[in-house]
Amino acid sequence: MSQNDPITLEIIQNSLQAAADEMFAAMRKTAMSSIIYEVLDMGTGITDAEGRIASSGAGIPAFIGVLDKSVQFILSKHEDIRPGDVFITNDPWYGGVTHLNDLVLAMPVFVDGRLIAWTANIAHNSDVGGMAPGSLSGEATEIFQEGLRLPAVKLIREGETDQAVMDIITCNSRMPDFLLGDVWAAIASVRVGARRLEGLATKYGADTFIRAMQSFMEFGEKTALAELANLPKGTFELDEEQDDGRIFNVKITITDTEFLVDLRDNPDQDVGPTNTSRDGTMVCAQMVFKALTDPDSPANDGSFRPLKVLTREGSIFHAQEPAAIGFYFETEVRVYDLIWRCLAPHIPERLPAGHFSSICGTFIGGIHPDTGRQYTIIEPQIGGWGAWEGRDGNPCIFSGFHGETYNTPAEISEARNGLFVDRMALNTEPGGEGQFSGGRGLVLEYRIRTQNGFLTAGYTRSRIKPWGLEGAEEGSGNYVEVIKNGETERYSFVSGLGLTTDDVIRVVTSCGAGYGDPKARDPEAVKRDVKDGILSAERARDIHGVEV
Amino acid sequence: MAEITRRVATDVGGTFTDLVAFETAADGTMRIITAKSDTTPPDFETGVLNVLAKGGIDPSEVDFLAHGTTVVINALTERKGVKVGLITTEGFRDTLEIARGNRPDFFNLHYEKPEPFVPRHLRAEVPGRMTYMGEERAALDLSGVAAILDGFRAEGVQAVAISLLHSYANTAHEEALLAEVARLWPEVSVVASHQITREWREYERSNTAVLSAYVQPVAARYLGKLDDGLKAQGFTKSPYIMQSNCGVDSLAATSAVPITMVESGPASGFWGAAELGKLIGEPDILALDIGGTTAKCSLVEGGEVRIMTDYWIERSRKSAGYPIMVPVVDLVEIGNGGGSIAWVDDFGKLHVGPQSAGAVPGPAAYGKGGTEATTTDANLWLGRINRDYFCGGEVEADIASAEKALSAVGEKLGVSTDEAARGIIRIANNNMVNALKLVSLNRGHDTRDFTLLAFGGGGAMHGVALGQELQVKKVVVPAAASVFSAWGMMMSDLRRDYFVTQLADLTEGAGALIEGVFAEAEAKARATFAEEGVDPGRVTFLRYGKFRYQNQEHTTEVLIEGEVTDGKLDRIAEDFHAAYEREYTYRLSAPVEMVGIHLVARAEVGKLTMKPEELTDAPASDALKGQRDVDYALEGTHEADIYDGEKLLPGMSFTGPAIIEDSGSTVVIHPGNRVSIDAYRNIHIEIGEQRS
Repeated sequence: MSQNDPITLEIIQNSLQAAADEMFAAMRKTAMSSIIYEVLDMGTGITDAEGRIASSGAGIPAFIGVLDKSVQFILSKHEDIRPGDVFITNDPWYGGVTHLNDLVLAMPVFVDGRLIAWTANIAHNSDVGGMAPGSLSGEATEIFQEGLRLPAVKLIREGETDQAVMDIITCNSRMPDFLLGDVWAAIASVRVGARRLEGLATKYGADTFIRAMQSFMEFGEKTALAELANLPKGTFELDEEQDDGRIFNVKITITDTEFLVDLRDNPDQDVGPTNTSRDGTMVCAQMVFKALTDPDSPANDGSFRPLKVLTREGSIFHAQEPAAIGFYFETEVRVYDLIWRCLAPHIPERLPAGHFSSICGTFIGGIHPDTGRQYTIIEPQIGGWGAWEGRDGNPCIFSGFHGETYNTPAEISEARNGLFVDRMALNTEPGGEGQFSGGRGLVLEYRIRTQNGFLTAGYTRSRIKPWGLEGAEEGSGNYVEVIKNGETERYSFVSGLGLTTDDVIRVVTSCGAGYGDPKARDPEAVKRDVKDGILSAERARDIHGVEV
Repeated sequence: MAEITRRVATDVGGTFTDLVAFETAADGTMRIITAKSDTTPPDFETGVLNVLAKGGIDPSEVDFLAHGTTVVINALTERKGVKVGLITTEGFRDTLEIARGNRPDFFNLHYEKPEPFVPRHLRAEVPGRMTYMGEERAALDLSGVAAILDGFRAEGVQAVAISLLHSYANTAHEEALLAEVARLWPEVSVVASHQITREWREYERSNTAVLSAYVQPVAARYLGKLDDGLKAQGFTKSPYIMQSNCGVDSLAATSAVPITMVESGPASGFWGAAELGKLIGEPDILALDIGGTTAKCSLVEGGEVRIMTDYWIERSRKSAGYPIMVPVVDLVEIGNGGGSIAWVDDFGKLHVGPQSAGAVPGPAAYGKGGTEATTTDANLWLGRINRDYFCGGEVEADIASAEKALSAVGEKLGVSTDEAARGIIRIANNNMVNALKLVSLNRGHDTRDFTLLAFGGGGAMHGVALGQELQVKKVVVPAAASVFSAWGMMMSDLRRDYFVTQLADLTEGAGALIEGVFAEAEAKARATFAEEGVDPGRVTFLRYGKFRYQNQEHTTEVLIEGEVTDGKLDRIAEDFHAAYEREYTYRLSAPVEMVGIHLVARAEVGKLTMKPEELTDAPASDALKGQRDVDYALEGTHEADIYDGEKLLPGMSFTGPAIIEDSGSTVVIHPGNRVSIDAYRNIHIEIGEQRS
């Protein structure tokens, strides 16, 4: 049998997936920052020689479409690419896509002197310098204030670490030990992937290996086009008001061969850090497109080929250098939700009602009272998801931006961060009721144990709440409260707020929105909700029309 | 007449209850008895007594009886446990429902999060807090417990689970609450999380306590009836129950915390692999168990299995599943077995599994109405399985049905029936190779240093092809490969694994602290064994420390020899650096910290001793029963010698291409392989030059 038969190609494709998963496992087990090993704010991937994504590991969907763009930038910048090299970038104007905390490492894979593929990963590092601990500040107005910029440079030359680059990176961090540990975890990960790919290509031959990757991408494109044919055709448009009063607009045109997302009619880039790069906007559109067309199989370059995105340079979705981009993720999750919301009424069988739809990025730092060491909490939150016809929404899972991501256990948080977790519970505030109700959000209370701590948080979907479908109630909204001396202050954006002993930070995430008329809800389900204490008897009567 | 020692293992599976008995005479000669009878739900003990009778075993003459059962995993996956109420720390009743928030199926907007085993109205809270260092921050308030239990009774709760924050560090609050529940409601089944594990992570520990409570009444009833049934027939001892950690445990201990037997089935086979490896001088083993619906693999290094506590049920790329924090042999399981169905998706891609044809209708060739092609059908079509000796001659192979099923796959792929069959074998093998890599290469082990031990009904069929791909030293198929798990059960020790979370920097004073944690766990283990009448002189320990670089989360286990003192800390740190570097390719100069201990406590309880047989000078041709054409996929079709496995004697040797057949399994020997039969009748296959 020839080496190019479909079975051989299939075996190579399965092995690419296994290699991407292996890279993910290696990184997770060796990382030093909890945002990487616990929250898994990271991703791994394999691209072909030209930087087209061929396979990706677990992790978060918002990182799947990043690595190809990084590799493509490296290819455009560097002539001299050799076996054993490892490149590093973190800057959206140099292939970094997201923000400076996210270090991307990429390693070329050679067989017999021929470049056949790249292995790459991305992970959120705890501190890369800049004006604020954790590198993220709501006060930033330029990228220069958000940390060290790494413009796609070589970190390792033919297997030899460039100590000068490494020293510059660690010297710029407030947490150099963490950074060094995390960078080495990332190096181990790209190397383990590269070794597997070399083995595969050597065994089956480089030509067969390359053909397998191409065929995998063609398969992804075929799948996407086949599903595109089943979507309603036409142009759909939505204007949506944001928490801060700005209006975001999207126009989506679906034809048999193309899915066009037009985001040109949107506000100018911001003076603050909520801008996103064009590449980042593209990633968001890719996430919705994949969920619509083929949520089951792994994504590759082909999966996204029918997608086109139009942006306007200088707008919030296509920021120009040197805009601040630290909180890019809240803007990305807004674009993602905007596209989803625009299409949901037209394709309700594929798109549930609105979810809490915010990263709810929460940053708390200070000195650990027992160890005297600096601690930093950097965490996205979990929240309620929207219902769909036939099922209530999920309670407390990560937003559409995150995926195979884990929250931090209270027992570990108390030990690692030296604070108390007083409560971690479902949010039972009213909201999200429908024939099928939205899932419950989260209430999480941290009690601070020392002086001189700080809180930074940036939540959206606070004033403008998750949107219901078919007559259901909207969700309840995301916010954070700080309780000092019995006085409670409520925020959705707060930067560098001082904290002291016994202050309580209460994170509250939104319930998901409902689907269908609340009066049509099965009375048994209403009674169960009341018995479980997630719905009040009054609300059962007023909204659902059921006496309990 | 020489005195005979009788050791019996019974294994209750979904369809059949198996028996293997070894009768050892005073001179060491051995007789092996196997028997099989139907599993008899819901009175499983009936099936056990039936199979003993069928094997001609008189329970009153049995010296050692080991028992394996799927009762726990079945009760969990079929949701046939009891109604559970959970009592937890104030502020944390929703931990069980919040879980960890992950969405493994991340592009799927219709993901369905697993429902908790206890609904919210049966999750109650009590005030009181410990810190992570085990100090009391707020006193436990038991005043509300009576009302909580009244509520549970009114709702028909049959078992209570207790899980309080930081109970791994200080068990006092859980113990007090446990006593209060027992005082107020003595009849109810109750378990506290610290009785099962002393490791941190409140969701995982709570879920473990809940699932244990959920199955406890079911398992206790099952084990009680088994014990009574055996005693009524004259058995004077109690059976030992196979555990997920590759050991056996007493019936009494298992009845109290039955969740520890959740993965006992695979564990016995992997322990058998470790023991067989020691017997034949191959302490480093890649063990592969291929059954009807799944293939499982595990790695044995230096004769020791690897035991972990991050085990999940129902976890996949599509679901977060449920964690169970008990010691389980480190294994990878995939949906690829003899009955796995081959299918072609909408885009013309061939897949094998995870759906299985099961026992009914089974593979198309069973002729029981199966229309879908399975791995077994492909093996039959390619001549690897004997058409005239299918299932040991018990089933007449329905070749026409197999051909029809395979040609349907071929049509969808646009290839011949032969090509389709080869494709199925290659895809199935590749799935298994990737699983084997996960437990070996993925963890820094070079497969070239290992021997692949293949067992289970399908292990021998695929073992050589997998061994060639992974370039292992050699492939071994054990004698009686199809009942190898039962053999492993008889080789097991009484074994308990203790995991205790205890943070410690490796600095001055740490030696005494760490030694104290080990000593406390060892004292507890000794006391428990003593209560059960086990001679303290027979108890042995293995001490592992769980270490990491400061600020990391995941740990690497390091074996520690002897007492821990400050003077030994440098050596321990160096062992950690070396183990870490092997697994992850680099080391750091960062400080090393201990996160906890893993203590293995073992006591030998009369396991089997194997006696080698004399090697014969007779040629292997004495066992030859003919030739037939066998398709080796990429290696092409060859005329292979067919050997009768029952007639192969210790000392015989030959070369491939060949097939060895016995009633339980088929060994596929590829061209160029060199085969020899050892003194215990295990088949050793030296693989030739590597092929693909």
